[in-house]
Amino acid sequence: MRRNWRFSPRDAGVTLLALVAAAALSALFTRLDPAGKSYAPMLFLFAVALVSRLTSGYFYGVAAAVISVFAINFAFTAPYMAFNFSLAGYPLTFLTLLVMALLISAMTTQLKRQEERNYRARVEEMRANLLRAVSHDLRTPLTSISAAASLLAEDDGTLGAPRRREMLLQISDDAQWLIRMVENLLSITRVSDGPSGVRKTPEAAEEVVSEAVRKYRARFARPAAQIDLPNELVMVPMDAILIGQVLSNLLENAALHAQGATRVRVRLRVEGAWAVFEVTDDGAGIPPARLATLFDPSAAQPSDSAAHPRNNMGIGLSVCRTIVMAHGGALEAENLPDGACFRFRLPMEKEEKHA
Amino acid sequence: MRNATTILIVEDDERIRGLMRTVLSGGGYATLETGNAATALSMLASHSPDLMLLDLGLPDRDGQELLREIRAWSNVPVVVVSARGQERDKVRALDGGADDYITKPFGTEELLARIRAALRHGQRMAEGEKSIYNIGGLQVDTERRIVRVDGREVHLTQIEYKIVTLLCRNAGKVLTHDALIREVWGPFSNCDTQLLRVNMANIRRKIEKDPAMPEYILTEIGVGYRMAESQP
Repeated sequence: MRRNWRFSPRDAGVTLLALVAAAALSALFTRLDPAGKSYAPMLFLFAVALVSRLTSGYFYGVAAAVISVFAINFAFTAPYMAFNFSLAGYPLTFLTLLVMALLISAMTTQLKRQEERNYRARVEEMRANLLRAVSHDLRTPLTSISAAASLLAEDDGTLGAPRRREMLLQISDDAQWLIRMVENLLSITRVSDGPSGVRKTPEAAEEVVSEAVRKYRARFARPAAQIDLPNELVMVPMDAILIGQVLSNLLENAALHAQGATRVRVRLRVEGAWAVFEVTDDGAGIPPARLATLFDPSAAQPSDSAAHPRNNMGIGLSVCRTIVMAHGGALEAENLPDGACFRFRLPMEKEEKHA
Repeated sequence: MRNATTILIVEDDERIRGLMRTVLSGGGYATLETGNAATALSMLASHSPDLMLLDLGLPDRDGQELLREIRAWSNVPVVVVSARGQERDKVRALDGGADDYITKPFGTEELLARIRAALRHGQRMAEGEKSIYNIGGLQVDTERRIVRVDGREVHLTQIEYKIVTLLCRNAGKVLTHDALIREVWGPFSNCDTQLLRVNMANIRRKIEKDPAMPEYILTEIGVGYRMAESQP
């Protein structure tokens, strides 16, 4: 799966743990039943199978097989605590373990590849749906702009200054909305620009969060935005422009849809190998009926775009999900006791399987 | 009597050019305009404008190439017009000698602000280096190597100090990650941007009141950093 083998602390840990456990159990069983000869080979076989399944690539499985052979030979067959390569069953044990490791590693690798193919296909499908939905949504403001502009152009003074001004503001409003939608559109196309979805570079997550909030504050006075960052610098491989867009969309969503919200908080924290971003508001929460189809552009359309072209929740959120998934992360929404919470996680390791 | 500040608009889209002209005239500037690189070069030579507004997508030549050619013989401040998402173009333009960039679509206020900043920066460069920089509550004394925030002395490491003074000398201008690394760690260092980010995070925790919302060193995502300008 990985053309260049890289040391992985996790895989090495799994291997070590499995082998030590096998050795310990073998020692235990041999002590309880000194006559039994098959405990050690069986337990090590199991350990090798486990390692091959749980690690990526062939390296750890094969390494576990080789180590097992020596361990069995050294510690669990007579003469004990010494190597003896002239034992009768020795080549067979070795071969069995090795073939086992190779077989299971191959299966694991194939499974992972399949999984990744499915994942890519899903991102691709989401992207296509989204493009359709966004393009469809562009028509509403365009119609309104074009109608207002031609009315103004043909006006011979009957419209009156206040009405003219109102229409100009509407044009400007619609144009602003279009600008944001096109940003979203560009983001979606950007997702597939790189060879593997997105081009990731290590970025300071705090900078991306700060800039998104700065942009938000320039546009919305309420709900007031707060930032909650960890003390240490968190570097996350990402396309910073796209993740900035995700944060902007989530903040905008809070401003436009969180009913009665007075504040929205962006929080960044590290959870194991993941950087977790949270956008939480103290509004009325997401209507339970919407929660299931929140990130689905087609489901969001009828109610949102026709009546309130500027309040399009579905598109922005689906863009978020597409971007986050293309990063190998996950986006979820939930209602907290006092508001809604959107949370997405990005892998901090550079070589993620979906990266 | 000094004539109005002249700005050369190099933009191939006639409508955008017209809008820029309107905005700039409204801001009290005289304008020259052209839609191609060849005329831009000759206008630059014959009229020596005070600033050039350059769209990177020109019909007859690559804007980046044009910029590099201009930089070979002219120090005219150049503000590049580029689209969002094309961060690499911005970085290339800045490393190629552009003073600033503005992202399409832009508001009229933003355009005027960027132009004012670039003009001020050009003027400061002409005046030469200062020994004390004051930016809001931040004071950098390069002679005594002292950095103060609201009168309180702040201790920076050697590298942090280098970064801060470099940004101060170029206040208002974006310095790309590469440019900062080159200047601070030397042209042949194989320092990656990670080290720069770590230093920047530390600097912000030392000099900013709220490191989550920096007011002195601003981030330009995907491009670099910019020191805020002292209010004139």
